[in-house]
Amino acid sequence: MVNWMTLSPELFYGLVMTAVFMVLCLVPANPRRDHATALILAAVGLAVTVGATGMRGDLFVDTYRVDLFSQVFKVMLSLGLLLVVLLCSELAGVDEKRHALVYLLLSLCTLAMMMLVSAVNLVTIYVALELSSYCLYVLVFLRKGQARSAQTAIRYFLVGASASAVMLFGLALIYGAARTTSVVALSAALPQLISRPDVLTGLLMVLGGFFFKLALFPFHFWAPDVYEGAANQVAAYIATASKVATVAVLIRIVAMAGDGSLLLVRALAALAIVSMTVGNLTAIVQKDFKRMLAYSTIAHGGYILLGILSMSPEGFSAAVFYAFTVLVLKFSCFFVLAKVATDGANLSIDGLAGLHRRSPLLAMVLMMALFALAGIPPTIGFTGKLFIFTAAMAKGHLVLVLIAMFNVVVSLYYYLLAIKAAYLTEPAKNLPAIRLSVGERLLAGALVAVTVCAGIFPAPLLDLAEAAVRTVI
Amino acid sequence: MTAATPDTVTTAAVLLATGLPFAAFALIMAALRGRPRLCAGLSIAAITVSLSAALLLLVRHWHMTAPIGAAAQWLVSGRITVSIGFLLDPTSLLMLTIVTAISFLVQVYSLGYMAGDPGFARYYGCMSLFAWAMTSLVVSPTMLQLYVFWELVGVASYLLIGFWYEKFSASEAGKKAFVMTRTGDVAFFLGLLLVLVHFGNLDILKMNAGDVPLHMPPAMITLSALLIFGGIVGKSAQFPLLTWLPDAMEGPTPVSALLHSATMVAAGVYLFARLFPFFRLSPTAMTVFLAIGTISMLLASTMAMVTRDIKQVWAYSTISQLGFMIMGLAAGGYVAGVFHLTTHAGFKALLFLCAGVFIHTFGTNDMFAIGRAGGRALKIPMICMTIGAAALAGLPPLSGFFSKETIMGRLAGLSNPLWLGAGLLGAFLTAYYTFRLIFAVAVPAPEKSGDEAPVGAPHGGHGGDPHHDRHYRLMAAPLVVLAGVTLALGWAHGALGRFLTAVDPGLDAHPAAHLAWLPYVAIGLALAGVLLAWVEFGRTASARIGFVERVEPVARLFARRWYIDDFYRWFLDRVVYARLSAFCDQGDRRVIDGGLDAVARGTVGGSRRLSVLHLSMVQYKMMVIFAVMGLLTLYFFLG
Repeated sequence: MVNWMTLSPELFYGLVMTAVFMVLCLVPANPRRDHATALILAAVGLAVTVGATGMRGDLFVDTYRVDLFSQVFKVMLSLGLLLVVLLCSELAGVDEKRHALVYLLLSLCTLAMMMLVSAVNLVTIYVALELSSYCLYVLVFLRKGQARSAQTAIRYFLVGASASAVMLFGLALIYGAARTTSVVALSAALPQLISRPDVLTGLLMVLGGFFFKLALFPFHFWAPDVYEGAANQVAAYIATASKVATVAVLIRIVAMAGDGSLLLVRALAALAIVSMTVGNLTAIVQKDFKRMLAYSTIAHGGYILLGILSMSPEGFSAAVFYAFTVLVLKFSCFFVLAKVATDGANLSIDGLAGLHRRSPLLAMVLMMALFALAGIPPTIGFTGKLFIFTAAMAKGHLVLVLIAMFNVVVSLYYYLLAIKAAYLTEPAKNLPAIRLSVGERLLAGALVAVTVCAGIFPAPLLDLAEAAVRTVI
Repeated sequence: MTAATPDTVTTAAVLLATGLPFAAFALIMAALRGRPRLCAGLSIAAITVSLSAALLLLVRHWHMTAPIGAAAQWLVSGRITVSIGFLLDPTSLLMLTIVTAISFLVQVYSLGYMAGDPGFARYYGCMSLFAWAMTSLVVSPTMLQLYVFWELVGVASYLLIGFWYEKFSASEAGKKAFVMTRTGDVAFFLGLLLVLVHFGNLDILKMNAGDVPLHMPPAMITLSALLIFGGIVGKSAQFPLLTWLPDAMEGPTPVSALLHSATMVAAGVYLFARLFPFFRLSPTAMTVFLAIGTISMLLASTMAMVTRDIKQVWAYSTISQLGFMIMGLAAGGYVAGVFHLTTHAGFKALLFLCAGVFIHTFGTNDMFAIGRAGGRALKIPMICMTIGAAALAGLPPLSGFFSKETIMGRLAGLSNPLWLGAGLLGAFLTAYYTFRLIFAVAVPAPEKSGDEAPVGAPHGGHGGDPHHDRHYRLMAAPLVVLAGVTLALGWAHGALGRFLTAVDPGLDAHPAAHLAWLPYVAIGLALAGVLLAWVEFGRTASARIGFVERVEPVARLFARRWYIDDFYRWFLDRVVYARLSAFCDQGDRRVIDGGLDAVARGTVGGSRRLSVLHLSMVQYKMMVIFAVMGLLTLYFFLG
């Protein structure tokens, strides 16, 4: 007998939210009504998810597990959805008739990612992953000016499809070796098999499917195009919620390997190094703000992988903490982006010029977020990096940490370019001040407060992350 | 050694000294930016209270025999603990006093210097931010807390250098300073992580307690000491990361006086003193530090010999003197290094603030132009600058003489005479470039003074300003105070030495060599430097060409900063931008540009051609994906 209460977040997003927006898709469009509905539903969804953090249970013939780990991630996911919906008050990048469709796909994608973090069977994981990916392909396509967005979406789809193919092949290899697809059974079986090259290959290929989501080398090619080609709000969703879900499932998969094997660690280390280096070096020469953020995401994926490949509880909880960090910081950047580019167009870095006059509050949000991404204390970005690097050092990855630290310095260089544009460059023509509603002011203040306070007092969050991680290893 | 618990007054004083500047910063940034005078008043009030609290602490604990500290647990994970709190020992008390005193004087001086600037309020906000970060850095009980504030003073420096928004070079210089110091911090942070992972603790007292060798093998100690020293190299602008400091002179002069000479850059030396017992565990590392200090001292001296920019001279001399302090510490002279840090903070702030008066009055940084425009007519700055210069040159009875002598004594105690020789050469060069500047300002070339500017009538951008007198007085007052300190501080040598070693007599265990001839040689060399400067620049009839400038290639080498910057530029342009970034960017850049063209043109032929390119580009990406996965598989099968 399934206890449906344990599934309340999934049920809410899957039944209530999608049903409401399916109806709204059919009736004549009204952007304000759609946005208000989405806002209320996303807020209720967050409340439901928070309320369900205490739920535990194994469901559907043990393919689906509700535990603290999955619930923590579900809270982050619904928080991510709520934040992105908050940005949608000016959804100028998408045709008005399709706003309801955007909300529908966003809730469906959130549902898929909730299933992803709870799934404990490789096949379930695969299905959930595909569902979330397909929502995103369509979302990218929905931007105004379809010739361009269609191109982007097709390229996104092509890379995604090859990643899925690689992942399926990996699943087959693992199933061939261990004769099971259950993550629980695999955690018992894999540590004995881990020295076999075919198992290692299978594991790496399964991880490949998630590297695609996390935009890690060599599956990173889509990120700059998609960030640039998608509507700003959709890009924000891809940069925040979608990354969080991926970290969860990466931890689940890597934790199956027990202490891991040296070969696997080395392979992951190589990918992490190339990711951060390619990401940071390429970001330096970008002119478009979203492209720069995309490359910075690739680099941050490398840092997260550094925590995961430590294969220790400290490393995993550092990665969870860092996922939250990325959620907050990247959202701050996209918040500023969406408020500056109200016409829904892309924003060049020079387009930030004079921001400190147009809106001191937004300029401060941007500065804090970028300083935090560059790891300047006492922000959350510094604390997150401290945890990851400490965990990696404890496992003796000295060279790896060294390379990562140099990457952090390189990244400071291009973050300063954006800060300089916002604070020091004078715009070519006088631009009007940016008006923020009371709610947006509060949101901006909250983002800065979280960036600083969670940096200084990380203990509650870290404790939660540690408790969550303990349930999967 | 464990720290004694502080009493209520001490705790309150520490909280006031560090907390009030932060409160001022927060208030200014949050609410008061539209009211510049109130901002300045608030900031100065905060730093005044800070200074009083620091002085109170210094007097209360002048006879301290054990460090005082309080800490709360911040983060406990496994066997790793990190705590936050404060730690007072003689070194931190002394540094706290220096920092708050110079901050106070510079903020008063800025009332005149920055008057009427459109960013007045923001300037005082950033000054308060700096004061908060720097005082908190000084009293940090753990290396992690110290590192946090170490980065924050870097942020404050970035904001204050880039302060003059309209100047493009200023924002570039700010960025250069920030990125270069952070490069050093990479090593610093890595060193801290090494200690944290192996020793399980970053408490300064515990790191210094001497049981580190039980947890870490000697090679590991050397490695982490060298890495931590990387942070010192970046912050104190030592070789090879020394070129950011001269560029940082783009900031307002009071900022240069406070951050880039007296306090922030001295934080590197302070860190050395803080971890002195830890560093001493590794003789190899100490020798490397000695070499880096010596190289920086000599290199920077040569650079100072050829520049015409008055602030640049003091910037190079700051690098050189910081290198000299590091030499003293690395030679085992704890008191010597810290004492020179103290005296240097006084006379170098004095020199910068004097330079600021000249720049403010005459609107130029060129020392010869200031001389021609009648620089010596400004009596107070001229006299004060000469006092500061004499201290820098190491002439008795000024403070610089005493502190330089103690370091020389330390260097003489080393078995290798090379270090002492380098130190004496440095003393000669220092005296030469210092008095080159003094003579250039005080004794203008006669043939030019007649037609360009009448001597004795200072004029310039602020000449006709009715507020000028008041601003001049505001700027002159701190000069007189600092000149007085420079005259008097040398005599406090013995008392300061006893104070610094009262808690841990082992700090200065090996007595310095006492060579009776050494002071005379040092004074002789300094006088020779002054004399040479007088021959070349000080006589009315002199040619005003230095002996270095007569040899064109050498002069160019010095003026181009030994081509260190050119190397960095070349490396960044040729290797990083042109090769690496361009290579990484190539793949998708072509696709995007092609895509835009295709949409824009819409012609069938063009689209077809470009779509072929697209297809090939997607293929190229797929190829990379599968090649990487294939290679890793191969690695699994072969490995």
